[in-house]
Amino acid sequence: MPNEVIYLDHAAATPVDKRVLEAMLPYYSEQFYNPSSPYAPAIAVRNDYEHAKAVIAQSIGAKADELIMTAGATESINLAFGGVSGHIVTCSIEHHAVLQAAKRREHTIVEVDERGSVSVASIADAITPKTELVSIALANNELGTIQQLRTIADVIRQERERRLSVGEVTPIYLHSDASQGVGQLDVQVARLGVDMLTVNAGKVYGPKQVALLWAARSVPISAAIVGGGQERGLRSGTENVAGVIGFAKAVELAVKHRKGEADRLDALRNSLQRQLLKAFPEAIVSGNQKRRLPGHLHISFDGIDAERLVFRLESRGVLVATGSACAANKGTRSHVLTAIGLADSVADGSLRLTLGKLSTEENTHAAAAIIIEEITQEYARMGKIS
Amino acid sequence: MTKVYVGMSGGVDSSLTAALLVEQGYDVVGVYMKNWTQDLPGMKCPWADDLADAKRVAVQLGIDFKVFDFENEYRHKVVEYMIDEYKLGRTPNPDIMCNQEVKFKLFLEAALADGADMIATGHYARVDDGILKMAVDQNKDQTYFLYRVTGEALQKTLFPLGEFTKPHVREMAKERRLFTAAKKDSQGICFVGKVGIREFLSQYVQQKPGEIIDKSSGKVLGHHDGAIFYTLGQRHGLELGGGLPFYVVGKDMTKNEVYVTTDLNDETLWKETVFLGAVHWINGMPAENRYSIRVRHRAKLVDATLRYEDENVTLALDNAERAVASGQSVVIYDDDICLGGGIII
Repeated sequence: MPNEVIYLDHAAATPVDKRVLEAMLPYYSEQFYNPSSPYAPAIAVRNDYEHAKAVIAQSIGAKADELIMTAGATESINLAFGGVSGHIVTCSIEHHAVLQAAKRREHTIVEVDERGSVSVASIADAITPKTELVSIALANNELGTIQQLRTIADVIRQERERRLSVGEVTPIYLHSDASQGVGQLDVQVARLGVDMLTVNAGKVYGPKQVALLWAARSVPISAAIVGGGQERGLRSGTENVAGVIGFAKAVELAVKHRKGEADRLDALRNSLQRQLLKAFPEAIVSGNQKRRLPGHLHISFDGIDAERLVFRLESRGVLVATGSACAANKGTRSHVLTAIGLADSVADGSLRLTLGKLSTEENTHAAAAIIIEEITQEYARMGKIS
Repeated sequence: MTKVYVGMSGGVDSSLTAALLVEQGYDVVGVYMKNWTQDLPGMKCPWADDLADAKRVAVQLGIDFKVFDFENEYRHKVVEYMIDEYKLGRTPNPDIMCNQEVKFKLFLEAALADGADMIATGHYARVDDGILKMAVDQNKDQTYFLYRVTGEALQKTLFPLGEFTKPHVREMAKERRLFTAAKKDSQGICFVGKVGIREFLSQYVQQKPGEIIDKSSGKVLGHHDGAIFYTLGQRHGLELGGGLPFYVVGKDMTKNEVYVTTDLNDETLWKETVFLGAVHWINGMPAENRYSIRVRHRAKLVDATLRYEDENVTLALDNAERAVASGQSVVIYDDDICLGGGIII
């Protein structure tokens, strides 16, 4: 692989910001104390930890004591689903963590349209008097499509009011996995109207395996991990102090630069999309182009084997994700691409290009040229063979 | 243009094989044979990475790439065969079975059905009009593993690496900047890898404690956890403490006893006459005559006289050979031509 790497997979993982790492390091060494210990240096660590939680909470318009810190977003999602025993409504393009958690209960999976948008009406239809949880991601990790959470929240509120008026006591809550999007969108729990929210440090230039579940105080959460009673007894285990400190720093930086960064990535993505479509007018851009994460581009080249393309691009130093199956997992096409009705030959030729902090006008432009070259060569090779 | 399907394992040898064939003007298709995907205690089966590497090289060479799934057949015909043979107290060779049953049978058939004219692999061997010959690199020669392949299969097979030494192959792979040029060679039996046959077998057979007995005195020297894990001539792993090394000179599978000696000259360790069953000839029965033989991969070639006895073959060795265990293959050569061989009874 060439020395110079162009990273176009920010939706998979983001590099920890240097300032984040710097903030974290002392908590592995000098300030290693267990925040539950009684002496002064440990109490200082406890205070720093609580302060970090407050910073994170503030960024989403929540209070620190409403956050349950978890090891990763998958755990946060499992925690959100754990307190629910009734019917669950979710949609067909959710992350596997949500789909698998939903499948443990009675559930309805709502279809999405070809842009990956879930219709508010179909959610309303799927809700029954027994429904206790609706879970819809803020934005889809493959397509970048942003859902209309506020409108979905309205539907839930109406259902809540209906239940109240007829004397039904079953509660109903709205959870959203905001792993994709918190770095780029201004996410405020009150404005979204959600009752539970999953936020992931690993996607916002913070450390991996650090995430949180925000839950309004009214939501009954049942502990997934029991033990020493940390995180209000809902998630026991010694606090990941350094991880949460890093999370707070990452969130702080994201908030500070959010608007400018979102506009920058939006423009870069649009230019990348324009260049690729100019070279390959028949390419298919998926996702809702009016409501899409900035920096996110899902594009398919009919007939191409995306994994071949990944290897071609890798050899030129361009790292991208594919929406299709790799040869080792033959037959397991992305459920998201199946859900939006992409034909197999199109789905198998899909690339997910996600821009972020490492993207510049220069390297995005260079990547576009390389992608165009490699696809042209692959099409030429296929033409020769067939 | 001759269409050649190359078995690509994701290693450097098969990668260069494909590259050479492309350069020689063949219409080349890379094929990964998915034979085994299970992890072992202490070893992650690298099949998915190997498959990706094979595909990377195919992409680099601009050739089509396919995956042929032989997992079921491989389990039945190679792995189960091997376990069954061990249970009978013998020492089988799964690589020989793999070539006979999978690579030069299933793969060949599937490739031909898919439109191939020929197949190729990265074996170090030469083939000349269906005749199997030793590789130029005497150190790497793999004809020992290929003696049960048919002449008909070899008629449709290319071994481009047979002319080169291993260091030369590495060098050529580097020159071509093949993705796998610096990749480490795999070790041991492919699905067993480095962990060793003992760990592999212990997943399939229950450990059964038994006695290790000194053959000359009849004294019990220690205990083992299953006679199945021991092979004639074996020196390591007896865990009998210091002193002279012990060698396995026999075992009784029904009594689950292993017999050992410190006497390297023990007569059971040495064989002058070898009887072969399940004999296979690549291009017909050779005449009774003197030939060179090999009792294990990379063993020195030794001279022997071949005689037929009904379907079996008797080999009278000029000099006795050590550690010739039942179940092991003996391969017979006429100069550099591999004629075939059989399995020690």
